[in-house]
Amino acid sequence: MDKILRINMGDENGPKASKEPLGDYAGLGGRGMTSAIISKEVPPLCHPLGKDNKLVIAPGLLSGSHAAQSGRASVGCKSPLTGGIKEANVGGQGAQVLARLGYAAVVLEGKPGDDTLYKVVINKDGVEITPDNSLKMMGNYDLVDKIKAEYGDKVACISIGQAGEMKMAAASVAFTDMEQRPTRHAGRGGVGAVMGAKGVKVIILDDTGMPTRSPKDPEKFKAANKEFVQGLKKHPITGEGLPSFGTNILTNVINEAGALPTHNFKTGRFDGAGNISGETQSETMKARGGMVAHGCHKGCVIRCSGIYNDKDGNFFTKRPEYETVWAHGGNCGIDDMDAIAELDRMDDDYGLDTIEMGATIGVAMEAGLAQFGDAKAAINFLKEVGKGTPLGRILGSGAAVTGKVFGVERVPVVKGQALPAYDPRSVQGMGVTYATSTMGADHTAGYAVTANILNVGGSVDPLKPEGQVELSRNLQIATAAIDATGMCLFIAFAVLDQPETFNALVDMISAFTGQNLTADDVTELGKTILSFERDFNSRAGFTAKDDRLPDFFKAEALPPHNVIFEVKDEDLDQVYNW
Amino acid sequence: MKPEHKTNSITKISLTVKPDRISLFSSLLGQGFTLKIRTGISIRDLLCRQIGVSDDYLDQRIQTIFLNGKVVDNIDTAVIRQGSTLALSAAMPGLAGAVLRRGGAYAAMRSQISHKNNIVDDSAENGTVMLKLFNLVALELGPLFLNQGIWIDGKNLENFFQRVPDFFWDGCLTAEIDGTSQDVRKISLMEWKQKQVFLKLK
Repeated sequence: MDKILRINMGDENGPKASKEPLGDYAGLGGRGMTSAIISKEVPPLCHPLGKDNKLVIAPGLLSGSHAAQSGRASVGCKSPLTGGIKEANVGGQGAQVLARLGYAAVVLEGKPGDDTLYKVVINKDGVEITPDNSLKMMGNYDLVDKIKAEYGDKVACISIGQAGEMKMAAASVAFTDMEQRPTRHAGRGGVGAVMGAKGVKVIILDDTGMPTRSPKDPEKFKAANKEFVQGLKKHPITGEGLPSFGTNILTNVINEAGALPTHNFKTGRFDGAGNISGETQSETMKARGGMVAHGCHKGCVIRCSGIYNDKDGNFFTKRPEYETVWAHGGNCGIDDMDAIAELDRMDDDYGLDTIEMGATIGVAMEAGLAQFGDAKAAINFLKEVGKGTPLGRILGSGAAVTGKVFGVERVPVVKGQALPAYDPRSVQGMGVTYATSTMGADHTAGYAVTANILNVGGSVDPLKPEGQVELSRNLQIATAAIDATGMCLFIAFAVLDQPETFNALVDMISAFTGQNLTADDVTELGKTILSFERDFNSRAGFTAKDDRLPDFFKAEALPPHNVIFEVKDEDLDQVYNW
Repeated sequence: MKPEHKTNSITKISLTVKPDRISLFSSLLGQGFTLKIRTGISIRDLLCRQIGVSDDYLDQRIQTIFLNGKVVDNIDTAVIRQGSTLALSAAMPGLAGAVLRRGGAYAAMRSQISHKNNIVDDSAENGTVMLKLFNLVALELGPLFLNQGIWIDGKNLENFFQRVPDFFWDGCLTAEIDGTSQDVRKISLMEWKQKQVFLKLK
């Protein structure tokens, strides 16, 4: 991973690839790489779909090695959804293969002069960029089948569906999984629209003949990785809960807490939660011959993904994740797991962010375009998006635009991006992160519960009123750092609970990089990344008023606990004061 | 028209199912069932002294607890009252899981929905509690309760029977309603209008 691949899609002689050394970007990976490049090279006031924006795809620092859970990639750009900086994190095979090919980043720049669609092939021999208009308006599933027929079943694909081609602000970038299915998505912020604006339909990665990345200290690395894997396997969350129920293990619990946003954030409980819970989902999957525990990339030992078959026992989609089940389920009043699975499949095929689309359909239902609970209507809405009808174009632009078009007041967005599956009135600390994240409302922005172990930002007194702000700040710093490593955030609990697993993680990173990593180093890395992002957003015109939740969270009490969001604006403004 | 049971005639269902089908009851256990207990006691006393859950299991495995929807941090001071709803879960993933965990480092992030401690008094008396079991806890404690028998909402049972896959019925060996043997498959076609049904696995 010693070079950056730049592809200028706007070169006067046609798309042109060039390789360059890492230079100032040496030592960066994942979100650290994407945010550094965007912050340094993209004019903050540029149009997100214009020639000056860039799409950066970067594997994590440990991707491509034998390190367990290291298969995350970051996709960064100026977001068409928020207007600010964006990093969308994704699993699948792409990060591992790209890293083994030696690239720390692929940067799509410029803009083609016409609407020709291109495919990019990257292998050990170099880069080939060819026009292929036969791919136009193909869904991700058909697209990958076509690529498979042409390039074999070993390549990894990074692609967009119809939504990306139509440059919709909710469009995702798909990464293929181990079975070469386009089920993993860099979902948030409209990164797929930027790839569409660059005229790139698919990037085909072939690492045939390329070795696994080697650590600086192989023996120490091997021992630390072994200890790390053992720690993950023995922990009840990473070793039992997630493999048994996937992330949808959360539905029943969040519902019981009264924190499951239901009917477009009107209440915190959904009567039909039991029908779409992880427990019910797993039993259905088992009964249909699906797979309950399944990794999204090689080297995953947690295996929270899964295979969701149809009633005839044939593959239908991957296990819909908790956020998807919430977005298309409780938020829209839908308690039919098969309908939610169909919506998930459609999102993956069209290339759409499931969170944004679920929230958007919830807003559309609030507007009276359909009744809450009408699964057929929800499916038809997505079909409109896939076809690009006028209504579909509106919905594909996300919840904020849909709310404006249809005159809805209760629109759950921050910086234009839809809130995920935890109501901030019940879990107020998460509301702080939603409000202040550089990404717009994002449940993973403050996810790394390792913050207290790392002692990020010093010790926190959670009993102090400002404790929630301090916790959110520390979580965001730690998360930014973890996102740079390429490690899956689900390692957090095992690392939190088991000191030996935390030590193994630190040893593994140190052995791989040849550096002795300290908690202070991690803190500094996280702060640096957030500073890049914050600076970009500031230059893009964001101010403190953008670090706020919508007013209704402060005005409308959420049943069953009848709570409102109480964190003061002046406290929110302290998050980035470190 | 579906056969319907009259409220005053049928209340007890007894099933024999293959062991590998018992996990299918997890969704039903998550919707809640009623137990007759002594109220006015702590969560620990209810689970460990009355029901027979080990202290180790409670301390190590049951990491997320809700009493009437509020997150419990102290299982020795949160008191079960008549009509309380108690939900039990293993530790949960993600920030939300960390936040909801009892006594966790991030408990401050959900202080608005935290259960405020009660004081255990001497007013213990007979009553009922609604118990919900989620995820790993449902898998592990479910057989204990199902073998003892649980009172459940008839609507939940009907929903369960309608949604359970054929795989379940293939492994459901016998069925009795109020002591009378029934065709297993017919149970799925019945309506259960009673407010409460007593379900027991043999």
